[in-house]
Amino acid sequence: MISLKGVNARAGAFSLTDITFDVPRGAYGVVIGPAGAGKTTLLETISGVVRATSGRIELGGDDLTHAPPEARRIGIVYQHAYLFPHLTVGQNVAYGAADGAMASDVSARFGVDVLGDRAVESLSGGERQLVAIARALARRPEVLLLDEPFSALDPRTRNVARRVLRTIYFERRFTVLQVTHDFAEAGLLGDVAIVLDRGRVVQRGDPEEVFRKPASPYIADFLGAENVFAGVARPIRAEGPDWVAGDAQELIQHAVAFTTGALAFYALGDVVPGPTHAVIRAEEVSLSAEPSMSSLQNQFRGTIQEIVPAGALARVTVDASGTPIVAAVTARSVRELKLQVGGEVVVGFKATAVHLC
Amino acid sequence: MAAPGISVLESTPPPAPRRASAVTRAIATVAVAVVSSLFLLFIVAPVAGLVVAGGGRGLSSLSADSELRDSLLLTAVTATIATLIGVVGATPIAYVLARRSFRGRAVLSAVMDLPLVIPHPVAGIALLLVLGRGSPVGGALYAAGLRVASSPVGIVCAMLFVSAPLYVSAARETFARVDARYEWVARTLGDDAWRAFRRVTLPLSARGLVAAGVVMWARAVSEFGAIVILTYNPKVASVLSYDRFTSFGLSEALPVAAVLVLFALIPLAALRALRGGTA
Amino acid sequence: MIPVVADTLLLFIAASLARPIQPVLDGFAARTGAVVMRESGASLEHVRKITELHRVPDVLLLADADVIPRLLVPAYTRWYADFARNRMVVAYTSRSRHASEITAANWMDIVRRSDVEVGRCDPNLAPVGYRTLLMFQLAQRYYRRGGLAADLYGHAPARNMRPNAAELAALLAAGELDYIYDYQSVAESNGFHFIPLPDAVNLGDPARAAEYAAVSITVRGGTRGTRATVKGQPILYGLTVPDSAPHRALAEKFLQYLRSPGVVRALRAAHVDMLDRPIVHGTGAPAELRGGGAGN
Repeated sequence: MISLKGVNARAGAFSLTDITFDVPRGAYGVVIGPAGAGKTTLLETISGVVRATSGRIELGGDDLTHAPPEARRIGIVYQHAYLFPHLTVGQNVAYGAADGAMASDVSARFGVDVLGDRAVESLSGGERQLVAIARALARRPEVLLLDEPFSALDPRTRNVARRVLRTIYFERRFTVLQVTHDFAEAGLLGDVAIVLDRGRVVQRGDPEEVFRKPASPYIADFLGAENVFAGVARPIRAEGPDWVAGDAQELIQHAVAFTTGALAFYALGDVVPGPTHAVIRAEEVSLSAEPSMSSLQNQFRGTIQEIVPAGALARVTVDASGTPIVAAVTARSVRELKLQVGGEVVVGFKATAVHLC
Repeated sequence: MAAPGISVLESTPPPAPRRASAVTRAIATVAVAVVSSLFLLFIVAPVAGLVVAGGGRGLSSLSADSELRDSLLLTAVTATIATLIGVVGATPIAYVLARRSFRGRAVLSAVMDLPLVIPHPVAGIALLLVLGRGSPVGGALYAAGLRVASSPVGIVCAMLFVSAPLYVSAARETFARVDARYEWVARTLGDDAWRAFRRVTLPLSARGLVAAGVVMWARAVSEFGAIVILTYNPKVASVLSYDRFTSFGLSEALPVAAVLVLFALIPLAALRALRGGTA
Repeated sequence: MIPVVADTLLLFIAASLARPIQPVLDGFAARTGAVVMRESGASLEHVRKITELHRVPDVLLLADADVIPRLLVPAYTRWYADFARNRMVVAYTSRSRHASEITAANWMDIVRRSDVEVGRCDPNLAPVGYRTLLMFQLAQRYYRRGGLAADLYGHAPARNMRPNAAELAALLAAGELDYIYDYQSVAESNGFHFIPLPDAVNLGDPARAAEYAAVSITVRGGTRGTRATVKGQPILYGLTVPDSAPHRALAEKFLQYLRSPGVVRALRAAHVDMLDRPIVHGTGAPAELRGGGAGN
């Protein structure tokens, strides 16, 4: 497990302030944050190559704040493979391995055993990264630190690498902390998400929670939430919309009316009345030709401004009373609903999907 | 007026690239070529002249001229010893200067450069004051039987003092060019600092360090002013060539000088071989 | 605005003269407004500069007057003048080993002790070097000890040799050597202690020229592979103004200044044993020299 308490560190232009979080043993942690946030510095501080100036770092239950890197039983994989140029692939993988059998086993699983005698510079970028991951795993670390290891890989290699890594992870159940830019990946992989900005932890928790309930509009925006609105919130309690009979009491207790521009919709939350932000993930927004009588309390007519295909999904921007709302729908739905720019459509989302921050 | 839907930015043609007129460019190119050629000539001509004037005689006299042979041997041996001491002693300093930032780093860096700035006879005097028989350290060495001034030890000291800074700055450059992350990765793979240095940093910087050593050796071989203060006899090649000039004149000094130039081709060739490998 | 260019005077000076003559040079510069430049070194260094590098000074002051007729006449100059005397001494400092024991009677034993470092100049480069060797031979005769010269020579080894008198003195001052064979003027101007040697030994008395001539040594000749024989001679400093001196008039003014009573007094106080009248050899010397200064 990884446990940081009040850790401060500085490396060149990057500094970390009062970092506190836990990644339980065997869990998969993800670190997300904008460029310059200090994510790499965080990994390097945990690994011990950057000295923590204060605070406590526990790995596997032991206080290793002042332990040298070689005593921390960690592995680190950077975005750049950093394979030792003067050694062959085989020698790289076996560098820190306790025995040759372990090294060849890991090599085989990543498919790099065939590269054994090759020189490092003759490998492609993807091959190098696979070797780097194999090298780190050959040593059987208890904690694996990954700094966007897949971002430079082509999709096919990325999938292979991810798959093998996850298989080994599930087998050995070491603790992982991965820096990633890919939020989908973070959502899929992670048990714990840590949001880092300007050297501080600004939010931590379950990835799903973090994505759906970012602690601030800034984080929401950074995490790629398409619908972030500034407006005014007003608790309304029972003066609600036509709550369907049978709705839970708490829906009524925490009902809030949020107004932004000419648009007003309902949300749930305990907020102080006044200016605030509303965040709605595009995946929570649905489109239909006609308003439906479902539990969606928020439904508005609007005009389609833009349709951006993105693989299997499409992002449709709808102008509802002057406020653009982005919905993520399948490409199939676009076809079935015959959506096109300029057409009319009904956009809707649940009150529970609105996060106020 | 831009067409609707097209922004003003898109409809403006890109600015024409700024270029000097063809004439100006031609003049500039010619000027640079002329200056560079003159400079090259300035460096090459004296050396070539020396070799042409005395090379033949110098080389052929080597077999008969035992004083010259002994002097060349002494020069090579003392320079090599000085270089070995320098490499062993200064490599850690170069490494620390390249890797660690600490208070006083700028000061240490400046101190290591000092001998380059000191005039050579002054350097010799400074060494005499510290290592001569009349000084505490020198006196103790002398009592223990180690004579510094007036011995080959003095030659090594003078060479070491004036040429070590060249090694430090070249070695530092070499280490700086090896990304520290290679060492860090090695650390996470179980190496302590020494092992990581030995297994990763050293192999990756070996070529550069050897080149730095060659530069140091070449500088040591050519030193005169500091050496002559400490040790006049036995004579290194530079002192001998001056002695021959003073005693016999140019005609006798030329062959010695020419042989020295040819002698100096050795480190140059070594450097070429090393650098060519990395290119 | 046209800058006023001061006249310059270039002197090549024997190393042993460098110290005492500096105030004289400064005084001359102050008087005439000329820029005075001096180069100091062993006599042979100066000769090579003239004959090989074709660098001609305005005034040449050497520790061995004999070098001038040997190597520079007639190609570079037709006259020279002896202007000062000197003596060989054994110089030391209070830090020297056995400094408290050494006397005029036992110096030759002290310097042969195994725990002392004795230095001398290179006889192939500097007059004081070969004069030292000549002095060894004179000492052997005077003290009537067979093999003394070889012994003294053996105890002043090559490693303790230096190319000129000033560097040798520097080594003594630094404590690197215990005893050196050098000129009395150098010993005095450096503040060293010294053992005066008998006139029959110290090469300092012009009246004993015949005695001195009884000994000789061989040194390297002018060309490689040759040897030259040098006979004992009284130590006389010589000066000349080369034929092609760039500032002849100023040089002759300097010589006048050098012979003026105040300067002679000052130089004697600085331990340069100036002759009452310079002894001129050859033809073409300036009138002031030939007429002799107002000597005393």
